Amino acid sequence: MYTWQKVTKFLSRGSVIFTFLLFLLAVIVDQTDMGTVPLRVFVGVSALNFTLRAAVPLMLGAMSGILCERSGIINIGIEGMMLAGAFGAFAVKVQTNAMPLGLSLFLSTLTALLLGGLMAYIHALLSIRYKVDQIIGGTVIIMLAAGLSSYFFNPNWMSVGKFGTIEIPLLSSIPVLGRVLFSNGLITYIALLLVIFLHVMLFHSRWGLRTRAVGEHPRAADTVGINVNRVRYVNTVLGGMVAGLAGAFLVLEAVGQFKEGMTAGRGFIALAAMIFGNWTPVGAFGASILFGYTQALQNELLLAGIVDIPRHFISMLPYVVTIVVVAGIVGRTRPPAAIGKVYESE
Amino acid sequence: MRKYTIGLVSVVLLLSLLLSACGGAADDDTFKIGLVTDVGRVNDRSFNQSAWEGVEAAAEALDMPTDIRYIETMDATDYEDNIRQFIQEGYDVIVTVGFALGDVTIRMAQENPDIKFIGVDQFQGEVVPNVAGLIFYEDRAGYLAGVLAANLTESGTIAGVFGTDLVPPVVAFKEGYEAGARAVNPNINIISTYHPGDIGQAFTDPEWGAATAAQAIDQGADVIFGAGGVTGNGALEETATREGLYCIGVDSDQWHTVPGARPCLVSSAMKLITPAVSDLIQMAAAGTFPGGNYFGDAGLAPFHDFAPQIPQALQDELVSIREGLESGAISTGYGQ
Repeated sequence: MYTWQKVTKFLSRGSVIFTFLLFLLAVIVDQTDMGTVPLRVFVGVSALNFTLRAAVPLMLGAMSGILCERSGIINIGIEGMMLAGAFGAFAVKVQTNAMPLGLSLFLSTLTALLLGGLMAYIHALLSIRYKVDQIIGGTVIIMLAAGLSSYFFNPNWMSVGKFGTIEIPLLSSIPVLGRVLFSNGLITYIALLLVIFLHVMLFHSRWGLRTRAVGEHPRAADTVGINVNRVRYVNTVLGGMVAGLAGAFLVLEAVGQFKEGMTAGRGFIALAAMIFGNWTPVGAFGASILFGYTQALQNELLLAGIVDIPRHFISMLPYVVTIVVVAGIVGRTRPPAAIGKVYESE
Repeated sequence: MRKYTIGLVSVVLLLSLLLSACGGAADDDTFKIGLVTDVGRVNDRSFNQSAWEGVEAAAEALDMPTDIRYIETMDATDYEDNIRQFIQEGYDVIVTVGFALGDVTIRMAQENPDIKFIGVDQFQGEVVPNVAGLIFYEDRAGYLAGVLAANLTESGTIAGVFGTDLVPPVVAFKEGYEAGARAVNPNINIISTYHPGDIGQAFTDPEWGAATAAQAIDQGADVIFGAGGVTGNGALEETATREGLYCIGVDSDQWHTVPGARPCLVSSAMKLITPAVSDLIQMAAAGTFPGGNYFGDAGLAPFHDFAPQIPQALQDELVSIREGLESGAISTGYGQ
């Protein structure tokens, strides 16, 4: 227990320090003449914006995973819940194109949350009531979402409008920080706040204590009167809703349209981010930022055209970093003790 | 018992699927035209759709019974199987859309000399009598887009978000765009990039297109040229969410195909696939099918709502540059 907390603390602190240094460097580059081309590639505002944008679906997916897995339900179906949310958001957005943009976006986001939650409810039902192996249950969710969304998807559908940028007054005029953190779409703000909210809730609230107890030692939790399976149902459905929000981000904020299989493995990368972050919200946030940053770097190098190496090597960058990180660090993480185990009270 | 019922039902379902696949054969005097898309949908609001509209236009123009079908390619490994389906069912003309289908189209044509093949975006190195490679001077359309962009920009930085350099027409668009912009302002800052993935994803990744457009905008670009199927469309729609920016579409008049881009869409670097495909099919029906390369028209789409903002002098200049490109007085420098 003690070493686990140490690892958690180290990772959380590491990601905070990493993020802080990145920003410090970015401010220096932006405000002084030091911003020669190579430095701009690494810490320019555009690189940081790209990082955040690529990281938002990952961090939401990772939060979804944490909600489920901290209560003891393995969730490899994040990808499917995300895709279901994305499709639901798109379908409703198309039907409500004629309405005022705000209302239409609200209804679409709501649908994404509900559909994500519904998929998660199916997963919870399979895992808890029918005691299906949770890896298989999660795979079912992924296949179900992929199949249904491409069956019902009509390529003639065209959504008009997406979440625009909201500039937070005053804060958005801070150099660099303002343009990166305080001038984003609504779902990005929600995702960032959710990371902090979930961290506080998980480690400093009665609900968080119960969740962790159920995930670590369900028998003990049951003994003190916690309804283990109810906690698991609630957490899984909440997790599904967060994954649905990630889908809504892709359709309503990032792209504006839906495409079959558009989550493109983000649910799995989110899973990796969750594990890398050792099942803590702040750790998973740091991991998401790192994965997003590698993608940003890849694109910055391509855009700047300053390196004279074949772009195929640059394209490998995100994967190489992922392998190095996963092979080098993930080996030392520790999942919740009761994860994946069916609980039956005596 | 219940297990058996489920088994029986699934067998019946499977059989019905199989049966529905072999539909009734059409009469021999029907002129049959088949189209195989590149990876993606036939209504992709990009080149697959333009080619299909050409098939539809030809069917309407032809004075004989026609049967038109398309097969949507889901994976790059299916090109040959999809073409073979049309061959086996005795189609008269087969349209294959996209550079990536070039090799397999020529191979199929050599095996089936009685069938006419139209290869959109497929440059023919050697003349195969029953293959018409429909190609365009994309560099000219790109050049015009570059001239337009360089005249519109206030920041002095323009950007391009492109599909992939594995496809020559996309390279032609990019080189033409940059040459056109530099012809107006030699010191202009151009940031442009190709999709980092392989040919299978390069045209179907709107999120990358949008994120890259956002990145270019962060670096000061105020005109974005999005050229690369759905990927490029993502860049256009992203640009449309910002104030005071311009974007330029590609292939068809994207004012009609991507309504979400209208707030920024000044024009599109068009290649007129639809009329060219229609013409080639009609030539095939009339027995005057041209083997080898066939050049279609390329140029800028109308300005639509932006027309009042484009000075008349610039509009006239674009027309005269187009004439210069066609006569050879102006060179884009591409392919030399």
